Amino acid sequence: MPLIEFADFSFKYLGADSLALRKVDLNIEEGEYVVLTGPSGCGKTTLCRAINGLVPQFHRGYIAGNVIVDGKNTREHNVAELAPIAGLVFQQPENQLVTLNVEREIAFGPENLGVERKEIRRRVEELIDMLDLEHLREKHPHEMSGGEQQRVAMAATLALKPKVLVADEPTSNLDPQSAVTILDLIADLNRRDMTVVLVEHRLDLVSKDASRVVLMDKGSIVADGEPREVLSMDLCQEIGVGIPKATQIYKRLKQRGFNLDKVPLTGAELATLVQEVKQR
Amino acid sequence: MSFLEVFQYTRQDSVIHKLDPRAKLFMSIVLAVVALMFLAIIPLLIIFCCLVPIIGAAKSLRRWSRSMRGLSILLIFIIIFNTLLSTQPNPFSHSLALTLRLVALMTSFSVFFLTVHPDELSQALIQMRVRFEFAFAMSMAMRYVPTLGQEAYAIMDAQKARGVELDKGNLLKRIRNIVPIIVPLIIVSIRRALSIAESMESRGFGANATRTYMNVLKFRKRDWAVVTVSLLVLVFVVYVRIFVPLPTWMLWQLPI
Repeated sequence: MPLIEFADFSFKYLGADSLALRKVDLNIEEGEYVVLTGPSGCGKTTLCRAINGLVPQFHRGYIAGNVIVDGKNTREHNVAELAPIAGLVFQQPENQLVTLNVEREIAFGPENLGVERKEIRRRVEELIDMLDLEHLREKHPHEMSGGEQQRVAMAATLALKPKVLVADEPTSNLDPQSAVTILDLIADLNRRDMTVVLVEHRLDLVSKDASRVVLMDKGSIVADGEPREVLSMDLCQEIGVGIPKATQIYKRLKQRGFNLDKVPLTGAELATLVQEVKQR
Repeated sequence: MSFLEVFQYTRQDSVIHKLDPRAKLFMSIVLAVVALMFLAIIPLLIIFCCLVPIIGAAKSLRRWSRSMRGLSILLIFIIIFNTLLSTQPNPFSHSLALTLRLVALMTSFSVFFLTVHPDELSQALIQMRVRFEFAFAMSMAMRYVPTLGQEAYAIMDAQKARGVELDKGNLLKRIRNIVPIIVPLIIVSIRRALSIAESMESRGFGANATRTYMNVLKFRKRDWAVVTVSLLVLVFVVYVRIFVPLPTWMLWQLPI
C-alpha cells in the first residue's frame, strides 16, 4: 500500500472561481524523494496541504475524491492526528517559529501531542545535534538569519517523527547558500529513509537527488516520472519550468543532431558525457 | 522610554534569576504591598534599602539605575506639582514620600520582570491553572512584537518611496498619516496570523487534552524560603501597621 494516495482528488477553495486541484491521482511510496514543480498558482501548495489534512480540515472548500495517508482518510482525521505522519515545512520560516527559543520550538510539536517529558528532551537534543543548532539553542527567532530559522523550523517539524516530510518551497525566501544547506539536509534525510515531498523551483539543485519529478499545471498533474525523463520533455519549456542548465544544453545539442548517451542533470554529468562523446 | 527597561527581562546568571517565578511573584507582591502601607519618608527609605540589595543580587543594579535616571524627570515633575498643589501641612515631605513610594513600587515589580523569562512566566501561569491557550497567547505576543515592528518600518519605507510625507504637516495631518501605515500593517498581520495558525495546526496545536511540558517548574527549598520570609514580613508589617502606633522618629518629616 502506498504511503500517500490521492484518488481522483479535486478541491476548490471557498470563494475561489476555479479548482485548485483537478482530479489528481498520485501514489507516493515509502522512501521516495518526490520533487513537485510547476508554475505559480498551479496547485502545488494545495497538494502539500492535502497531504496533512490542512485541506480540507483547515482550509474549507468543495472536495471530491479522497486522500489517504498511511491508511487514514484526510476527510475523517483532523490535522493533529495526521501531524505525526506528515510533517509540513512552509515557505516563510518566521511564521513557523512561535516560541521564544530554539529548544522550546522543537519541543512545541511533541508537547502538543502529549509525548512524555524525557522523550521530548531526547528528541530535542538529537535534533539540535543533527541539524547543528547548538549555537542557536537560547536564541530568539528574531536574532537568527532566514536560513537558521528555516533549519529550526525543519527541526521542529522533524520532532514529530513524521513518516513523510513535506516541504513547500522551503528555500524561496533564502539566499543561495542557505538554500543549498537546507536542500542538502533534505537529501540527507531522504538517504536516512525519510520519504520526502519537496516543492521547489530551483531544479538545478534538487533534481540530482530526487527519485521522481511531478510536474503540475493548472491544478492537474501533467507529467510524472524519473527526473531525467520528465525534465527532458518539451512540455517543461511550454509551461515555463526552469529545467537544469545541463539538461537545457543537452536539448540544444540534440536539436543540432548531437546526441548524448543520457540526460545530464548537473554540470559534472554533462562534462563527463561530453568527454565520452569526444573520445569516441 | 528608557525607564521601561527595568521591566524587560535580561539574561543573567544570578541567585534571583534562578528562583521559581511563582516565589518571585509572591515576593514582589509582598514588597509592593508593604510599600503601599506607608506614606512616611523613613519607613519608605527602609523598604528602599531592602530593595536595592535584591536588585544587586539580580546583578541588575546598573540597568536599574539607568532606568531610574530616565525616570528622574517624571519624578521631579511629581515632586514639584505635588508640593505646589497639595493641601498637606508639609507638602514637600508628602510629595517626597509619594515619589519614594512610586520608586519602591516600580522596583519591587521590576525584580519580577527583570528576572523572569517570558517562557518561565507563561509556564508559571500554566502551573497556576491558567489555560495553556491564554498563557501561550501571551508568550506569542512577545515573540511577534519585534517582527511586527520590522514590518511597520518596511511599510513606512514603502509609503515614503511612493511619496507619502510621513513627518510633515501639523499634528492633525500627522495623525492622519498613520492611516497608510496602519491599514497595510493590519492586513499583513492577518495574513501572517493565518500562516502561523497553519503551521501551528500542522504541529498538533490543541490536539491533545493532556498536553505535556518539557520544562516543568519545581519549588525548591530556596523558593519555599523566599515565600516563607515574604509571608513573615507581610504578617509582621500588617500587624505593626494595625496594632502598633509608629514611633515618632519614623514619622519624621521635613519642616516644609
